[in-house]
Amino acid sequence: MARKEFDTFLLQDPDLLPEEQEMELIVRDLSPEDRRRKYRSFFANALVSKSESKYPDLLRVRLGRGQLLEKPWSIKILKELNKFATEEG
Amino acid sequence: MAYSYPKDNREFIKALEKSGDLVTVEQEVDWDLELGAIVRRVCEKKLPSPYFKSITDYPGFEALGAPLATYRRLAVAMGMNPGSSIPEIADEYVKRTTSEPIHPVVVDRKDAPCKENILTGDDADLFRLPGPMVHDGDGGRYLATWHFVVSKDPDTQDINWGMYRIMVFDEKTMVGPVLPFSDMGKMFHGKFAPKNKPMPFAVVIACDPLSGMAACAPSPIPEDQFAGMLMGEPVEVVRCETCDLEVPAHAEIIIEGEVIPNVEIEEAPFGEYTGYRTSPREPRTVYRVKTITHRNNAILTVSNMGVPTDEGQLLRSFSLGLEMRKLLESQGIPITGVYMLPESTHHMVVVGVRPAYSNIASQIANLIYGSKLSPWFHMVVVVDEETDIYNKDDIIHALSTKCHPARGIRIYEHGVGTPLNPYASPEERIWSRGAKVLFDCTFPLDWPKSDLPIKVAFNTMYPKDIQEKVLNNWKNYGFQE
Repeated sequence: MARKEFDTFLLQDPDLLPEEQEMELIVRDLSPEDRRRKYRSFFANALVSKSESKYPDLLRVRLGRGQLLEKPWSIKILKELNKFATEEG
Repeated sequence: MAYSYPKDNREFIKALEKSGDLVTVEQEVDWDLELGAIVRRVCEKKLPSPYFKSITDYPGFEALGAPLATYRRLAVAMGMNPGSSIPEIADEYVKRTTSEPIHPVVVDRKDAPCKENILTGDDADLFRLPGPMVHDGDGGRYLATWHFVVSKDPDTQDINWGMYRIMVFDEKTMVGPVLPFSDMGKMFHGKFAPKNKPMPFAVVIACDPLSGMAACAPSPIPEDQFAGMLMGEPVEVVRCETCDLEVPAHAEIIIEGEVIPNVEIEEAPFGEYTGYRTSPREPRTVYRVKTITHRNNAILTVSNMGVPTDEGQLLRSFSLGLEMRKLLESQGIPITGVYMLPESTHHMVVVGVRPAYSNIASQIANLIYGSKLSPWFHMVVVVDEETDIYNKDDIIHALSTKCHPARGIRIYEHGVGTPLNPYASPEERIWSRGAKVLFDCTFPLDWPKSDLPIKVAFNTMYPKDIQEKVLNNWKNYGFQE
C-alpha cells in the first residue's frame, strides 16, 4: 500500500521538536482518496521522526510562513482528535 | 432613483465581457494552485478578469478571478463608462454615498436564487465547494477571498458586512482573524464571547459587485444600507435557513453557522494584501458550519492577494480615501481631493489642500489618524493644489522636492496597527501596534513670496496663448500624442 502523505506547520525551531514521543499536532491530509478533500486539517496524536523511513507515512514540514523544509520526515498517526465532540454532543 | 448596475455576479460577468474586461477560460483549471497562479499573474499584469468555466474535481462550478482589480472594472460595477477617470468614479461614489441610507428589502425565498440548493447535515460539507489553494504554502484552502461575513449587533441590531478572510480547516470548520478593532471584532469579542455565546454568521460569496464594494467600505453606515445607496434602490435580501440574518438573494453561495466563543484554531500563513506573507500562523477565530446554500452552477469569486494590484488593494484604497475625503470636508478643511494609492497596498494617502493657514498638514494628519480608519494605513502625504494627486510622477516630484527632510516629516508614535504590517516588529504585530508619519509637501506660509520656488512645467511657465498655439499645432509638428 502506498504511503500516505501529510504536512504540518511548525511554529518552533524544528530542531527543538521532540522525536519519537507521542504529541498532539495539526496535520493536513495531502493524499486523500477523494481529491476534493486535499488539505483537510485535523488534530492528531502522533509519533514523528526526522527520519523519512522511521514511521509508515510521510510528513512534509513547513515553518510559520509556509517555508517548506527540504527533506520530508515521517509520521505515525495514533488517533484523530475531535475537538468539537462536546459542543455537538 | 435606481442606477444602472449589474444586479448579480452573472450580470457583472456579462458586462465585463461586453466592455472587453473578461477572458473566458474554457480549458480545465486545477483549484490546487493553478487557478490561483493565473489570478496572481492577471493582477500583476493588470489583465482582464479570468472566467473559469471548468474546475478540476468540481464539475458544475465555475469561478471569476480578480473581479474588481482595475478602475475599469470598478466603473463597470457602478454602471459607468469603463473609460471613466478615477476622479469621475470617485465623485460618483461620493455623490451616491452621501445620499440618504436605503434599507434592504426582504424577498420571498422562492425569488432568491441563492436557495436553489440547500445542503444540511453531513451534506453541508465545505469540500463540496471548489475552495482554491491560492498560494503555495498557505495554511489551507481559502474559500472566502472575495466575499463578506454578515453578523448582527445583539444590542443595536445593526448589520455588519465585512471582508474577513476565512480558511477551510475541515468539512465543518473554518478559521480566520477577527481583529478586535474591526466592526465584527467589537461585536464578537466585546458582546458574544464574554457571555460564552456563539455568534450567528453567514458568509456571502460572489454577490453583486456593489454589495461587495459596500462590504469593503469603512463607512459608519451599515453596509446593507450602504449597498442600497450605491444602487439607488434597496438591495434584495432573503432570510437565512438557520438564524435571523439576511443575505443578498442573488448571491452565488451562502455558508451559515456560528462563530464559536473561547475556542481558537491555528490559521494562516496566507499571502496577504501587503504583498507579503507577514502575519504568523496563530490561533484565530473559529466558524462552525451548519448549512450551505448555493445557486445552480455556482460561480465562485476568487481574489489573489499579493503585490499590486488586486481588488482588495484597489477597492480598499478607493473607499478608505473617499471616507477620509468626507471626513475632511465635514470639518471644513479646504482640500482639493484625497487619493489613496492602490500600489501602496492602502498604506499611503495623498491629500491635496489649499494651504490657507499654517500647519494645515498637521491638522489633516491629526484628523485622519484619529479616526477609526487609521489602523489600515500609516503614511499621509499632504500636497498643495499644484500637485496632481492622481499622478504618481507628480506625487514623487512633490515628495522629493517640497518635503523638508527634517521639518516636513512628523512621526506619530503609539498608533493602532495590524498584525499584517510587514515593517512592524513581531511584538508590534502581536499587539496591533503601529507608528504613523506625515509628509508635509506644502511650502511654509511665512516664507516671503519672492523666495517661493516656482514650478517649472509646461502649464506654469508659458502664457496661455503660447500653450494653446503649441497644443493646436502639436500634430502639425509631427507628434502623434
